[in-house]
Amino acid sequence: MTDLSRIRNFCIVAHIDHGKSTLADRLLELTHAVADRDMRDQYLDKMDLERERGITIKAQAVRLAYGELELNLIDTPGHVDFTYEVSRSLAACEGAVLLVDAVQGIEAQTLANFHLARDAGLAIVPVLNKIDLPQADVDETRRELAELVDVPLEEVLAVSGKTGEGVTELLERIMAQVPPPTGDRNAPLRALIFDSSFDPYRGVVAYVRVVDGALGARSRVHFMATGLDSETEEPGVFAPEPSPVTALEAGEVGYLVTGLKDVHQVKVGDTITSAGKGRATEPLPGYREPLPMVWSGLFPAEGGDYSELREALDRLKLNDAALAYEPETSQALGFGFRCGFLGLLHMDIVKERLEREFGLELIATAPNVEFHIVRGDQTSVVHNPSEMPQPGTYDHVEEPMVLATIITPSEYLGAIFELCQARRGELLDMKYLSPERAEVHYHLPLAEIIFDFFNQLKSRTRGYASLDYEPTGYEQSDLVRVDVLLHGDPVDAFSSVVHRDKAQQYGRQMVERLRELIPRQLFDVAIQASIGSRIVARETVKAKRKDVLAKCYGGDITRKRKLLETQKKGKERMRRVGRVDVPQEAFIAALRVDEKAEAKR
Amino acid sequence: MTAGLYVHVPFCLTRCGYCDFNAYAGLDHLASRYVGALLSEARLAAPGWKDEDVASVFLGGGTPTTLEVADLKALLAHLRQTFAVDSHAEVTIEANPDTVDTAKLAGLLESGYTRLSMGAQSFDRAVLAVLERIHDPTSVRRAMSAAREAGYANVNLDLIYGADGETVGSWERTLREAIELAPEHVSAYALTIEPSTPLGRKVSRGAVPAPDPDVQADMFELACELLAAAGYRHYEVSNWAKPGFKCVHNLGYWERRPYLGLGAGAHSYRDDRRWWNVRPPEEYLSTVESGRLPVGGEERLEPSDAYLEEVFLRLRILEGVPSSWVEPGRSEPFVESGLLRDEDGALVPTERGMLVLNELVLGLVE
Repeated sequence: MTDLSRIRNFCIVAHIDHGKSTLADRLLELTHAVADRDMRDQYLDKMDLERERGITIKAQAVRLAYGELELNLIDTPGHVDFTYEVSRSLAACEGAVLLVDAVQGIEAQTLANFHLARDAGLAIVPVLNKIDLPQADVDETRRELAELVDVPLEEVLAVSGKTGEGVTELLERIMAQVPPPTGDRNAPLRALIFDSSFDPYRGVVAYVRVVDGALGARSRVHFMATGLDSETEEPGVFAPEPSPVTALEAGEVGYLVTGLKDVHQVKVGDTITSAGKGRATEPLPGYREPLPMVWSGLFPAEGGDYSELREALDRLKLNDAALAYEPETSQALGFGFRCGFLGLLHMDIVKERLEREFGLELIATAPNVEFHIVRGDQTSVVHNPSEMPQPGTYDHVEEPMVLATIITPSEYLGAIFELCQARRGELLDMKYLSPERAEVHYHLPLAEIIFDFFNQLKSRTRGYASLDYEPTGYEQSDLVRVDVLLHGDPVDAFSSVVHRDKAQQYGRQMVERLRELIPRQLFDVAIQASIGSRIVARETVKAKRKDVLAKCYGGDITRKRKLLETQKKGKERMRRVGRVDVPQEAFIAALRVDEKAEAKR
Repeated sequence: MTAGLYVHVPFCLTRCGYCDFNAYAGLDHLASRYVGALLSEARLAAPGWKDEDVASVFLGGGTPTTLEVADLKALLAHLRQTFAVDSHAEVTIEANPDTVDTAKLAGLLESGYTRLSMGAQSFDRAVLAVLERIHDPTSVRRAMSAAREAGYANVNLDLIYGADGETVGSWERTLREAIELAPEHVSAYALTIEPSTPLGRKVSRGAVPAPDPDVQADMFELACELLAAAGYRHYEVSNWAKPGFKCVHNLGYWERRPYLGLGAGAHSYRDDRRWWNVRPPEEYLSTVESGRLPVGGEERLEPSDAYLEEVFLRLRILEGVPSSWVEPGRSEPFVESGLLRDEDGALVPTERGMLVLNELVLGLVE
């Protein structure tokens, strides 16, 4: 048991790529947490996927010994999709190192993270990183950061996670500036779950911050939000590899092998207390159910893989409490799942893991937000465009809005105004961080953000602008459903809900794209876009006229038969929509949200 | 059931850019050894084929007329000795217009090669250049009159349409020229780009455009129209003949009659077994010269393979597929859209249907 006064719980928060993982590596080294021979880059980012993408999606806590002190470094996700996870990780800390790349300066997620940390009441240690780089503008970035955190310039530390310069000073500063945790070790147990993972041998492992009391092995505990009881198997700490301890006490951070087998029973933000007598009456504040913001239909490319997809989703969900899914049947794509994600990055990660770890080939429909359909005082929720009712059957539709913060070199302001304007944005305010850099706030529909907004922002600002956004609730909007018909039959997978002003343009774009993608059939195929019963765009794929091998003599017959068999297999892989055969690739390409599509908007 | 004999001669004066046949330029020095090997192979293969009634012999290539008349004569005589070749059998030899003159043709006819198949390809110089054919249109006319002079009464002209730069107008001139020469038989092939050929490589790297299938469809329809008007009967996707001049040998392939192939890379078929000889001439020679059959591979047709072949071959020769073979509901959409017609219980492709024959086959066969 470590005396409370000798514990420091802190995290590092930063915009993506500002060097958080590299700094964490230096902290591990300086505190001899990892033997030199075991050290590897980005040590804490355990999953392959994280290491390749250079981002951290799973929070993790590691215990470091520094002199007499026990430092618990809680690694937080650095992406806007995971705001809730970040907030729970912050709630496990007393201090935050606010890390800013001295080359890039303050960016949108620097601000978002700073505000989250300040709102969580954390002590903030402002730090400049990458000062070893020749392009680093230490003075200017220091000025920006001091102003943001509202401290004198000299309180902003300058470090290099790469060379280790200044990292010892940083440890000293953490010791001095981050308060030790408070907590009553004699009070009923209350431990905050700030993350969880699933271990195939040991079941669900919760990452916890014990706030009051103590959490030992083989004790009956109660999960306050889910209402479940279990017998704990093993508390422990990451040092940085998992090491069991007899108990985690108030103020300490570590893991708990919960004895539960289903990650849904162990929810981020939930409070663990003792089961039976002596249980806490009040849970820790801040729990909420993770809310999917972005939806997409996932369908196996091979219809037979449906049950494998279900199994894979079930398995992923073990490790990802924020993933939502429900069975969906599409006339065009067959059996699949409508899946809910925290955001686009979350969606990409899930899709990539399904394909990589489970060997599935997937067709994903274009992402959409959740719409509210209002009829009188009744509101129904739609998260699949093909379920959007026909106009006239409801009073109005509401869509989710966000407050977007964009930080950009001022020379790109024009490009950003143009982009946000085109995306139905409303400029709220703008201020200059320095003569060269500006911070802009826009009120934007989330639906516009998830349609390739980030790529566009990056390409129009040569990668310099950064974006963060937070939901601000639902607003009424003039949205309509655009359907795509092939040979007169609507293809549910291509339906989309868009603003009325853009509906025709969207329909035209889809129809033109599909004309390129749908192979010629034995008859003319009409491709139409409609809003309600009104056709707004039309193209035709002309009938195929020639599909026969010219020569077929003695030596050609085997080859010819094999060609036919190949052609037959190709046909079998196509989806039949009414009378029209549509290849998988057409679905994938037509539904892809990319710059090419955007360029046509 | 009658059988056919095919003899492959893999020598050419030059290789044409579009051709993916087993043919080689510059191997002429092997010619007499090769003829010897053909004779040996015939002897080696004969025991299993002695009782087959051979109704046709076909010398293809390559360019069989690169061989000396004397060799060709000895070859045919040997085949007649070794196999039960019907005295009225159709005996075809392929010829390149530049490798024949009246004397040579007279020699061939006298040797027993009674049917001549000439690779004319086009009467448009630009098209011949794209195809990398060395002859020019006048040599086709010359070779044709030489053939008539020599006494040939059964001549086929091969034509190819749809090469880069060929218009429907130019194709029409080629067709009219061909009709003008009044061959008994015309084969007209849509140019097919084979990836392994020089032309195929040019297409894949974008140096030459791939044939436009719609233009080739127009050209096919024009061929159907002009050849029919000139008295030719369309009897296979790419073949037309004056009455009584269908190619017996090629019909054998399409009617799934047995055939024995001799020579490098030649294919054989009998009783749902298909096998083929090794392709490189040197390997063929050394194998046969060491007294072994030069078989390079074989396949046995499963009943489903045989059925698929039967269906697409019957459709190709307008024999039609008995409607009783086809699951109810499968043929109707094709009949309604004018791609098939029902002729007394047989489903026969229309001209438009022949153009999309692959689709018909896939639509009819489970």
